[in-house]
Amino acid sequence: MTGRPGGRPLVPAYLATGGAARHPRLRLERLSLLRRSDRAVPDGLPPAHLALLDELAEGALTAVEAAALLRLPFSAVRVLAGELVDQDLLVARAPIPPAERFDPDLLKRVADGLRALKH
Amino acid sequence: MIEIPDLVAGGLAAGTLSALALGGGLLHARRQLSRQRAESDALRRQLDEATRAFTSEIEHLASRRLPAAARALAHPHVVVPGPLAPETTGTPLGRALDGVLQGLRVELAAQHVRVDAAAQAGMRGATREIQAALYRLQDALRGLQQQYDDPELAHTLFQLDHENEQSLRRAQVAAVVCGAWVGLAREESHLVDAVTGGQARLAGYRRVAVHHHLRPGTALVSHAVEPVAIITAELLDNALRHSSPDTEVLVSLEHVHHGVCVTVDDAGVGMTSDERERAQRLVAGREPILLTDLGDPPRMGLAAIGQLTRQFDLSVDVSTISPYGGVRAVLLVAEHLLSRIDPTERPPAASAPRSTRETVSERYAVDTAPPTGPADGRTPQTPVGDPPDAPAHTYGAEPPGNGAPRVPAHAAPGTGVRGVPEHDSAYDSAPDDALDTGGLPRRRRRTPAATGQEPAPRPAAPQAAAPHRAEQAAAALGALQSATAAARAAGGAAHTPNDSDHTDHEGGAAR
Repeated sequence: MTGRPGGRPLVPAYLATGGAARHPRLRLERLSLLRRSDRAVPDGLPPAHLALLDELAEGALTAVEAAALLRLPFSAVRVLAGELVDQDLLVARAPIPPAERFDPDLLKRVADGLRALKH
Repeated sequence: MIEIPDLVAGGLAAGTLSALALGGGLLHARRQLSRQRAESDALRRQLDEATRAFTSEIEHLASRRLPAAARALAHPHVVVPGPLAPETTGTPLGRALDGVLQGLRVELAAQHVRVDAAAQAGMRGATREIQAALYRLQDALRGLQQQYDDPELAHTLFQLDHENEQSLRRAQVAAVVCGAWVGLAREESHLVDAVTGGQARLAGYRRVAVHHHLRPGTALVSHAVEPVAIITAELLDNALRHSSPDTEVLVSLEHVHHGVCVTVDDAGVGMTSDERERAQRLVAGREPILLTDLGDPPRMGLAAIGQLTRQFDLSVDVSTISPYGGVRAVLLVAEHLLSRIDPTERPPAASAPRSTRETVSERYAVDTAPPTGPADGRTPQTPVGDPPDAPAHTYGAEPPGNGAPRVPAHAAPGTGVRGVPEHDSAYDSAPDDALDTGGLPRRRRRTPAATGQEPAPRPAAPQAAAPHRAEQAAAALGALQSATAAARAAGGAAHTPNDSDHTDHEGGAAR
């Protein structure tokens, strides 16, 4: 997904985030949904942030889709999204976890624990 | 009787006379001899003197003049002393001695060039290998960046990628100085990408501010991409190195009459007129480069720029003083090295600065999109923002609006290139008519569809409905086209890989 079939990308990914790949607060997963908020875009936003907002102008996308469209690794988009969420320009929502059957063992242990508390 | 004494007397007289004559001659001869002896003594002394003078002249040549002449080749300020006796100058001896010096100079210079060429060849070979290895490392690092999400690991990978870029720059510059090819073939690329790429190769890239005033889509022909990136990186490196860490280095990209100008301004210490002259001589690239001229440690940046400007018909000027007090370096890319890329089909890298000329069409869309959201009743995005059960459903449901037009783009089989624009223009026509962009380029996106409604009168109901109608129309057209395409494909129309490549790409850009 890096770049086009034509060759190696000229602009490395770390330039998008200024070298950062961590965001202190936001826990974003690959399938987290990103959506633009209603806030107007302020001036002086770095180009990569603007590019992400542009991609989302048409509607919500998962983080990994946005990364593919921006031709950036997911870790870079996670930082961009985190910074935009901090500025209330973006809304991120955790992916819907696939439905699972409850673990009967766990339920049983919880029930046992509750009963033990009661006594 | 008388005759005898007469005879005797006569004989005696004759004898005396002849004795006298002989004696005089002898005396004369002796005097001459002594004079000649004195003369020859004088001459011998003179000869000894001359020999001594000649010897000391040769000694002087060997001990003083030859070393000085040899040194003067490397250090032009060294003065070569004249002959010991000033009057020798101009005489055959003087000319012969000068001939010796001249012969030495010529031979030394030739030797110098040969040795340097050998050193360059050695270094070229080594750096070439290193460069190739670093490119392989880069591929590996970028593969890992795509693969792993862990923030700590990703952070380290970014750092490694940056370190790798810097090493790569050094290896590449050394190779270029030694007369090697830039080492990487690139495809036609946006000029701003080349400049941003050059910026990314430096340790202090965060201090660089790029101002992009070019028409969107201004690009470089393939063989000029890497040289421009290298030159920009080296100019920026110089600027960053010679300015204080709390100042910015400004880069501006502008159109000029003969092409495009990349101007690098720093607010650093500047150069003295000597340094400026030397730098200008190096970047002009008119003289062959000798490694020994580059100093220790060798300063390769300017020399590499010189090599590239000569090979690729670029021109660099560092002779001006920046208005910020530092150096202003100007790279001029001539018209014949420029080309155009459609920015809608192949947008520049996400982290490349936006063109200021894009503002009218592009930023307009960005700035006005959020206000339109609430205004048209949050039509396109509402479902996503709604209660928890909605997202999975609506997100899945969105593609009909979003994705349906894309299907025909992928499927449009025989028509290839033509299929896509046709479709897009049908899709976009309404907003295009509604919003006159004054011939400025604009992306083919759905955003303009929303902004296109903006200038229209604002009765609530029709406006809320409008995007729906546009989308429905698009979906209907898309469905029709995809059905036709499917039928054609079923009918056995060839689906070449080339087509699918293209449409993939197109789909990515136009979505």
